[in-house]
Amino acid sequence: MFSRGFIRKLATSTKSTPKITDILIVGGGPAGLTLATGIQESPILSKYNVTLVDGNDLLNKVGDFYYDPPSYFTNRVVSVTPQSMKFLTEKLKVALLQDRIQPYDGLYVNDGITDAFLEIEREEMLYMIEILNIQSSLLHKLTTNSINSRVNIFDNCKVKSITSSVKGDPTSWPLVELANGEIYKTRLLVGADGFNSPVRNFAGLYSRGWKYDTWGLVATLKLDPQSLPIYKLRGWQRFLPTGPLAHLPLPGDNASMVWSTGGNEMSSILMEMDSKLFVKMVNAGFILTTTDIQYYLDAFKKGTLTTEQIIEDIDDRINQVYSSFKDETQIDEKFPPLVVDVVPGTRARFPLKFSHADSYVTDRVALVGDAAHTTHPLVGQGLNMGQHDIEQLLNCLERATLRGQDIGSVLSLEPYWANSYGFNNIRLGMADKLHKLYHTDFTPVVAMRSLGLNIVNQLNPVKNLIADIMTGR
Amino acid sequence: MISGFHCISKQPLNRIAGGRILGSKVVGKRTLILEAAMMAMASKYIFGGEARLADKMGNGELYNKNEDYKQLQKEKQLQRLKNLKNSRPMEPNYEGHIPLWPSEKLFLFLVSGIRSFYHPENGINIVQLGESTAIKPVLDHLHHTMLADPIGRRILKDKPEVKENTLHMETLANYPKNTFGYQFYTWCKRENVTPDTRAPIKYIDDPTHAFIFKRYRQCHDFYHALNNVPIIIEGEITIKALEGVNLGIPMALLGTLFAPWRLTKIQRERLFDIYLPWAVNSGLKCKPLINVYWEDLLDKDVNEVRKQIGLFPPPDLRTIRDQRRKELKDLNEKYKNLKEEYN
Repeated sequence: MFSRGFIRKLATSTKSTPKITDILIVGGGPAGLTLATGIQESPILSKYNVTLVDGNDLLNKVGDFYYDPPSYFTNRVVSVTPQSMKFLTEKLKVALLQDRIQPYDGLYVNDGITDAFLEIEREEMLYMIEILNIQSSLLHKLTTNSINSRVNIFDNCKVKSITSSVKGDPTSWPLVELANGEIYKTRLLVGADGFNSPVRNFAGLYSRGWKYDTWGLVATLKLDPQSLPIYKLRGWQRFLPTGPLAHLPLPGDNASMVWSTGGNEMSSILMEMDSKLFVKMVNAGFILTTTDIQYYLDAFKKGTLTTEQIIEDIDDRINQVYSSFKDETQIDEKFPPLVVDVVPGTRARFPLKFSHADSYVTDRVALVGDAAHTTHPLVGQGLNMGQHDIEQLLNCLERATLRGQDIGSVLSLEPYWANSYGFNNIRLGMADKLHKLYHTDFTPVVAMRSLGLNIVNQLNPVKNLIADIMTGR
Repeated sequence: MISGFHCISKQPLNRIAGGRILGSKVVGKRTLILEAAMMAMASKYIFGGEARLADKMGNGELYNKNEDYKQLQKEKQLQRLKNLKNSRPMEPNYEGHIPLWPSEKLFLFLVSGIRSFYHPENGINIVQLGESTAIKPVLDHLHHTMLADPIGRRILKDKPEVKENTLHMETLANYPKNTFGYQFYTWCKRENVTPDTRAPIKYIDDPTHAFIFKRYRQCHDFYHALNNVPIIIEGEITIKALEGVNLGIPMALLGTLFAPWRLTKIQRERLFDIYLPWAVNSGLKCKPLINVYWEDLLDKDVNEVRKQIGLFPPPDLRTIRDQRRKELKDLNEKYKNLKEEYN
């Protein structure tokens, strides 16, 4: 009688024999690359053989960003907390492109209907940084220290299928078949593969959540050099009933914008607009009333006004609002610098959703980053939650390795989930509730939330608490 | 008088000296006297001549023999004015603005409300009631109503004034008879009013809000003219109800609620049977009246204008009144004739 192993060997030998690896990371986004770098940098974990697989042109397209960055700022920009920054630059010793990072010292958040506001000030509380900057710096770190490195990166290579090596035994090592025909057998499979995570599907980890019926519209803005603040660089967010509109500073006269637009229609109108009009609409979004914005969108959609007429009307109304201020210095306090242009080709939109996996770990599988949780960008915590995940996962792997445990076992991985679920749930819940609270123009709710915001703005201890959560302390 | 007082006061003193007849009460009276004596001593040191002298020394008033009393008086007056101004730190936001504290606005509302109820014919009462009840949410709502409409936006931008010289009242008389301008002219003549009789805004804080409220006030006559409603009290209540329903102005709603209490039975019946149902119905159906650029409509056909706004006039109040008066007169005559016949 043939042993089961022999039959398996016959079956698989027709393809290629599986290569053995300790940790296989699916996905070369910031989360996957940070994990790979973390393993390489850790004296305890660096002996592990790591394989990173990504479907995109990681090494050339993303990697070149580090050596030859474009003159403009790309549109995928994230806000990074000092905690995540410390983790990247001090623990992982990643040399980010410093001249493309903008620290800022405060946030001005206001209600689009009542102009109730919350002002948080803290020196260098957050950093604006391009995702490509993080990715390429991590790639630079991974590829230049390649002498002792046991990290192998396969880009342009999609995962074709994931199966258990012993059918029906979830504790057996997973077999990952790549698009180029190679098969990997791995001790630990890490899913850093985003919202539609194939790894999560393979592991059968249930992720619950909902779509927001809201699109995030991003763009890189060029600001009016005359209205640039001399000191106190701030991030701005205005909660319009259609979704928050955020303006975040980048070095020089650049800024990044995220406009969460309720429904498919509004975002597509804003996408197809002439860039001159789009720029004015962004200004209008921060300065004018919600009625004005709706009027312009309707006029554009129905064609009752030409682009020039709308632009003229917006300018008139902005001047009206400006002239209603008795003290002109208040204008800079209440409104972000005026936008004069948008970098061509940086306008893009993506659907927003909320999801959180019930568990991040199971036998032989761990999820990190967006595979475990996706969030509305309004509190700017997406990337930071991913970084926190990785810090916790690295701690777990180190502890398991020192104790001689199998790093793929639930016993080793469970503390990672235990330490990150609560942290993430606070931030995910905060974004979700804020979105829901501000996604209405029902008068009693508006009155209550404005009262609340005004009270919070007077209570410094509460403001400090919010700032602590936002900066990851 | 003095001796009487002496007599009365002497009695208890004797009793105190006399012994313990009154018990503990006696002790109480003795401390009262002691307290009074102590107060007198203390007040001597606080208010007495020596204390006043010391105060003068402290203030440096003692040795200034050549005081310029006129100058001093002037300084004191200036100081008082300055104190008064500091008690009201708000600067006016536009010409003619009188900034008020919220408590003062509330007081204005109460006073003008009561006065308006008893003297609705006095315009100043209604004007004050209107401004004190025009709270921010209402004006914000009107502002947004205007911003959402192209014509409303044009009005906000142009900031037109309804005045006799801007409307050129004398030329309106020469307009064709079917135009709204001519209708307005004849209505003004019949009711003996001019557009200049509208009071300026005083108590609304925001300049834009003040303009919107002024616009509402100035357009009031157009609503009358378009619907051919006279300015007698029933007509005013009808138009107030129309404004209240259409624009949500609190003063207009208050007027609709409280003013009918003061009418006679026959007036009230007429109002409830004909005019209020018309006002509510039309107010809900027609377009927001604040978004009508009346100045542009003066040379248009009056029926065209009515169709455009969606507002059609109610039965003529003056005709109804005349009819009733005639009926009464006829009945009276009949009664008189019958009486004569009987006699």
